[in-house]
Amino acid sequence: MNEIEKIKDALKSSNAEKIVAFVRKESEPREVLKVLSPNEVDKISFSPLSLNNPAKLLMQINGKVAVVAKGCDSMAIRQLIKEGKLKRENLFIVGISCKGVVDYRKLAKFVNLSEVNDVELNGNDLVLKLKNGEKRIPFLEVVDENCLYCGHPTPVIYDVLIGEPREGKRDFSDIEQFERLSREERWNYWISQFERCIRCHACRSVCPLCYCEECMVDPSNLAVSPMSTPEEKASYPRILGKTVNARDNTIYHLLRVLHHAGRCVGCGECERACPMELPLRMLERKLEKVVVEIFGYDLNEDIPFFSKLDIVGD
Amino acid sequence: MIYEGEFLKDAISKLLADGYRVFAPSRVGDFHVFREISSAEEADFNYILPRNSAKVAVFPQNEILIEYGDWIERVPMEEKRIAIVGVRACDAKAIKLLDKHFLEGFVDPYYKSRREKLLTIAIACNNALINCFCQSLGINPRKPEADVVVSEIDGRVFVSADTEIGKSFLQGFNLRNENEEELEIKKRFESEELKMREIRVDVEKLKKSFDSPYWKEVAINCKSCGVCTYLCPTCFCFDIYDEGEKRGVRIRTWDSCQFPLHTLESSSHNPRAEKWQRLRNRFYDKFYYTLRKGNYYCVGCGRCIDFCPAGIDIVNAISEVR
Ligand code: SF4
Ligand code: SF4
Ligand code: SF4
Ligand code: SF4
Ligand code: SF4
Repeated sequence: MNEIEKIKDALKSSNAEKIVAFVRKESEPREVLKVLSPNEVDKISFSPLSLNNPAKLLMQINGKVAVVAKGCDSMAIRQLIKEGKLKRENLFIVGISCKGVVDYRKLAKFVNLSEVNDVELNGNDLVLKLKNGEKRIPFLEVVDENCLYCGHPTPVIYDVLIGEPREGKRDFSDIEQFERLSREERWNYWISQFERCIRCHACRSVCPLCYCEECMVDPSNLAVSPMSTPEEKASYPRILGKTVNARDNTIYHLLRVLHHAGRCVGCGECERACPMELPLRMLERKLEKVVVEIFGYDLNEDIPFFSKLDIVGD
Repeated sequence: MIYEGEFLKDAISKLLADGYRVFAPSRVGDFHVFREISSAEEADFNYILPRNSAKVAVFPQNEILIEYGDWIERVPMEEKRIAIVGVRACDAKAIKLLDKHFLEGFVDPYYKSRREKLLTIAIACNNALINCFCQSLGINPRKPEADVVVSEIDGRVFVSADTEIGKSFLQGFNLRNENEEELEIKKRFESEELKMREIRVDVEKLKKSFDSPYWKEVAINCKSCGVCTYLCPTCFCFDIYDEGEKRGVRIRTWDSCQFPLHTLESSSHNPRAEKWQRLRNRFYDKFYYTLRKGNYYCVGCGRCIDFCPAGIDIVNAISEVR
């Protein structure tokens, strides 16, 4: 039985009321997350183009739900359980031991995407089934760079595991290399990146850990009530306006990223979502390195990072 | 007419020498963005669509409306002429739509100060991108509506001007008339349809489907981000606020109807509190509400499809409405 049949079987065995899984678009091979009912299970697909993280979607669904999760997706689900945002007993997790996903924008450079019917990994090659014929591309040329640093390709939490478990490794070599640049070089690098940001807030909005209803990077506060006086409304704290320039964008990113200390699960959704292609994972991975090396915290610990800091603080 | 050489680059050099602010596609890594450039070398024309749209030239993402102290100290207005070079048919049409919004009825003086001095130089599309659907919205990608139009056909550079400002700009160039054969080539080029997606808009059905549960389904994975609206060449929403208590600036910035705060009222009521209401608003604003201005406010550039992190697709959403 091939992978996709195994996934369908596992989903069918779950007795869940809803299924969260990938479905391929018709006009291009892109796969999108959908919420399906159990009788729609045959619509699903799974391939190296199953890019997105379903964890955020799970928070919207009540009742028992079955979900297809790669290694990083499962990390996000476990983190949300730890933070009280998801209930383990409501989930049926079909974990997939992951070999990495494709960077869709890289793939677009190799082939006219509307010609692609299907993709599949075969050894070290990505095999594209085209409308007429087949094309092979070395997977390393189109793999999402984020996957090269993946610490948890095998799901950390699941009901059914599909595929052989794979080892991940913690690798900060790229960050170490960057740290060796001078302060000025690093500053100039980041300013030139932040300058390009259009503050669409997609990086924040797709992040499974950015679930706050009131986000500090928003230009005003949701906590206005009919009782708020005009003075209160006028003096509501506003950390950032909507002005877009290197300076304000820097603040935006630093604030956002700091909130992920000891929480970022490394799924790469932020960078994948960014229309301006900012190297956002680099920021998060630097932070992860600090959390590991200076605070000695490991994401696999049962206790959230911030709670652990409290205990240590006492 | 025919130009021997790289018309777009030469046009940029002339525009800069004439004192224009020039916006053109410029390469960032593997993609292009429309931005202000200061030399012809910064522009790169190996592209179909830049990530952002050409609207940045007439409707910048931030602009200062007023500088104030005890009283209004300065009202900055655009003084220079502006040129957009290398705009495609979709973005060129979008500027016409922004004109209707900002100049008909209430006239926006800031927009007007840029628009009345604007020169657009468009380039015809040889191919479409994977999510282009301009033709089904009545736009001919090979015949953009602009002051100057450039088409590159089999190594020949055709240049034409339909407006006065375009014609007078072309006077500074060494152009020759097309021969019979070239005229024929150009005519054929303009009448050939490109292979691309199609949208089916049924306004009556849209009207009836406002309360349909369909919108919840479409929006289930929407992240309420600003990608679709910020990249859209026709989205015109903005926010205004003051920065600085005693001295400061009144700023206008882009805003997006996808953000929950966009419609939050000071009573704390939010008429579009749910994301499906906001997403539905975007679709209706493209294909129904804006009909009172006489047009759909979508030009089929496909940016909101290409870059939506959730894979939401306006062509499917509108064509399959129920
Ligand atoms: S997704 Fe990219 S462009 Fe949008 S706010 Fe984040 S970094 Fe900026
Ligand atoms: S940036 Fe911080 S405040 Fe905003 S959503 Fe993320 S975690 Fe919450
Ligand atoms: S439709 Fe897509 S791009 Fe638009 S707000 Fe929703 S997730 Fe963001
Ligand atoms: S709605 Fe989408 S396709 Fe239409 S003009 Fe805007 S960005 Fe382009
Ligand atoms: S939408 Fe039409 S005009 Fe715009 S780039 Fe595509 S083919 Fe060209």
